[in-house]
Amino acid sequence: MIFRSLRSPAAPHLTALTSLLLTSPANAHTSEQAFVLLLPTGIYTVAGVSVVAVTMGIMALLPKGSERLAFGSRGLFGLPRSDLTAATSVLSFGMLLCLIWIGFTGSPSPLKNLLPLVFWTLFWMGFLTLQAVFGNLWHWLNPWTGPYRLLPRRLREAEIADLPERFGSWPGAVLFLAFGCFMLADIAPEDPSRLATIIAAYWVFTFICMILFGGERWLARGEFLTMLLDRYALLSIFARRDGQLRAGMPCWQLIESRSVAFSVAVLVLLLLGTGSFDGVNETFWWLAKIGINPLEFPGRSAVFWPTTIGLLAANALLLGAFALVIWTGLRLAGSDTEFTEAFGVLAMSMLPIALAYHAAHYLTAYIVQIQYALLALNDPLATGADWLGFGQSQVTTGFFNTRDTVRIIWLSQAGVVVIGHVLSVLVGHVMVSRLFSKQRDVLLAQLPLALFMILYTLFGLWLLATPRGA
Amino acid sequence: MTRILKPKQTRRSVLKKMAAGSALVAGSAAMPGFVRYSQAQSSAPIKIGFQQHVTGIGAAYGRWYGRTTEAAAKMINDAGGINGRPVEIIAEDDGTDPKRGAEVVEKFANQHGCDVAFGTLFSHVVIGSAPRAGELKLPYFVVSEGHHVASGMLNRYTLQPGITDVKSQVQAMAPFVADNLGKKVTMIFPDFAFGHDHRDYFSEAIEKQGGQVLAKIAIPPTESSFTRYFPQIPRETEVVYHVMVGPAVLTFVKEMGEFFGSSRPEIFGFIDSLEAVDIGSAGLEFLDGTYFWEGNPRYAQADQSDFDKAYRAAVGVDDNGASVSDPKDVSTYAHMFGCWETLHIIKAGMEAAGYAGPDDRSKLIEAVEAVTDMPHSNEHPQGAKLFNGKTHQVFGHQYISKVTDGKLIVAHTTSIEDTFYPDEVDYTTQPF
Repeated sequence: MIFRSLRSPAAPHLTALTSLLLTSPANAHTSEQAFVLLLPTGIYTVAGVSVVAVTMGIMALLPKGSERLAFGSRGLFGLPRSDLTAATSVLSFGMLLCLIWIGFTGSPSPLKNLLPLVFWTLFWMGFLTLQAVFGNLWHWLNPWTGPYRLLPRRLREAEIADLPERFGSWPGAVLFLAFGCFMLADIAPEDPSRLATIIAAYWVFTFICMILFGGERWLARGEFLTMLLDRYALLSIFARRDGQLRAGMPCWQLIESRSVAFSVAVLVLLLLGTGSFDGVNETFWWLAKIGINPLEFPGRSAVFWPTTIGLLAANALLLGAFALVIWTGLRLAGSDTEFTEAFGVLAMSMLPIALAYHAAHYLTAYIVQIQYALLALNDPLATGADWLGFGQSQVTTGFFNTRDTVRIIWLSQAGVVVIGHVLSVLVGHVMVSRLFSKQRDVLLAQLPLALFMILYTLFGLWLLATPRGA
Repeated sequence: MTRILKPKQTRRSVLKKMAAGSALVAGSAAMPGFVRYSQAQSSAPIKIGFQQHVTGIGAAYGRWYGRTTEAAAKMINDAGGINGRPVEIIAEDDGTDPKRGAEVVEKFANQHGCDVAFGTLFSHVVIGSAPRAGELKLPYFVVSEGHHVASGMLNRYTLQPGITDVKSQVQAMAPFVADNLGKKVTMIFPDFAFGHDHRDYFSEAIEKQGGQVLAKIAIPPTESSFTRYFPQIPRETEVVYHVMVGPAVLTFVKEMGEFFGSSRPEIFGFIDSLEAVDIGSAGLEFLDGTYFWEGNPRYAQADQSDFDKAYRAAVGVDDNGASVSDPKDVSTYAHMFGCWETLHIIKAGMEAAGYAGPDDRSKLIEAVEAVTDMPHSNEHPQGAKLFNGKTHQVFGHQYISKVTDGKLIVAHTTSIEDTFYPDEVDYTTQPF
């Protein structure tokens, strides 16, 4: 991903050009990675995987249906009926316009310009996680719904073109993959004016599609941000139900997913696959595979195609592996359940893992970038303003320089990964229980999935512990 | 970023106004609150494009290069700017990527209207950007340490006047190592060109001192444990020379300590391995008594100059080389002074050339080429330097520090002459 460098030590210099060159060694900035390699990550990994495995064991022993009790919810209080989302959306759109303007006219540095800091740090790293914890905040912030409602009713109801049902949610899945390519392979996704162009173009494209195909329809099946944020909201503690604010254990809404379109299931797996590859592509292992010396990473432009192909291949691999897991489970249980039905609901059970990868992966970058974001908010137009009173504060990365703080950071990341897997195990168990009536079938059908999740836990913790070079 | 339109002027009018401007600046210093910049000539800022490693593998360096650059620009502006005009730093992220580096150079020239470009550290970005700077006739002041400038592979528009190159640094270590640590050396280095360059240049230099390299242990770049390499160190080794880099460097130090136990040979390394790492970190105790090259001493020394004191205060670095706002946030002290010094050379060059705008870029290059002595001063807090206008490379003192109680204490300062080598190019013969 884009902020990889904050964690990796700098590597030396391009040298293939000529052996005459004494390449400057100004590269060896040893950061938190060096301390991670000194931590007993092997022991931590065994402990993490054990927690996931033990959770599975307990689930297998519990009488069928009992786990569902854990996912109940209770009403907290009534919510006002008035719907202000159109107003907040218009406000959000106005802010987006300001940000795009700042992107084009403000500082060209991604550390000072508000647009990349708000989009990548506050929104992509931070807001996604907030959405998954607190519920569908995107409903209020979506910058299309308000302006769309301001259109004449005639235009809104025209639905000029048809979006055939057989297209399902594939437009959104494809657009998400394109976004993944931009994020991971583009040479400068943080460049303010470049980002401003892309965000502006995507807003217009989406708005046109809403007019063509109908607003709600396009947001639900083509606009990947709304699609993935709506899914992440299912993990949250809070939800609005029948005019009430209800709260429950994380994922209580997720287990309500009963029939899931194949294309939506694929989108969920693409979230996981892209998030996973966004760790793999930085590892020594991957760099060695694509013939890059991890100590002298040559820059994104040199690995554009390996990254793009790797991203697509990683997603294909995950989809294939997951399909195999589901197919094997159904065969073991001797079930006549439709493959696509099982694939759909069980793919939803991978959402907590996808979120955990997201949060763990971005944690280190986030704690640095958020400092820049706050300083930029303090002086949004680079006029020397001090709106938030930070004055001349300096960004620090000192927490990457001591073993104790690095251990805290690493264990937080690992903890998030393990909690994500535990939640997935619980949700997966509920989903499988619902598909089969006999306890024996539930256990057999779940075996491949259990193995898959244990391996994924191992993989996730390995990703955090292994040396990275890009 | 503030954008100020620059009025068009003739060179003659600028030159004429400059004299009046100087008088105004001199006057303004005595009058608090008086407009600081000369209003007699254009008060449009001098735009310096800062090619910063904001993302990519150079980001940790880029952050400190940024802090140093901002501090230097502030100092220059507080003192009246350049030729009476304020300096504006326009930072662009090059992603530590050569292709993006070239794009950024182009943006500086064509989009931002920069007068010069400056500040690049990583060699591959310099090598990728310099040809474009040459084509655009944009003076390109790099702070890279690479030998690529002095080797002759770049062009007349690319200069490195604020930091010495690695070739001179490495060879200058040999006399001290041979005279004080031992003549029988084993080198441990990563097995690619960066390590090979150390191997080749140091081997040659130590042989000139009557020493020899007993073993050259090349470590594959993907290695993250080193225990199987240490037994390859010959018993008669008097000095181990190491230049390990990358995330496994702390593991390397720890395992080397475990291998040698209490009886070890002398150990010499380049601080690049531990740049921005607290030497007092748990696990680094083994380094006590070992030696490091430092481009600029990270810890304030007993004989600290007033220049270093002022420089630290301006950048916001304490006596341990860490940020004053977070003592754990250790700076890239051995390298970042290069940004400070380079900006001051740009200022001196522009003032000597009477620089008024992009038309004077070749005059600026000629003015910098004509520079020779750079005395130890507030502008050059790392130490005195000699600039070689033909090779576009500066030469200066190098520091060898001994780890003592978790701090680096300077044990030896090389002469500037120790760092000389024969010219490999004469850029002044190239046309503009």
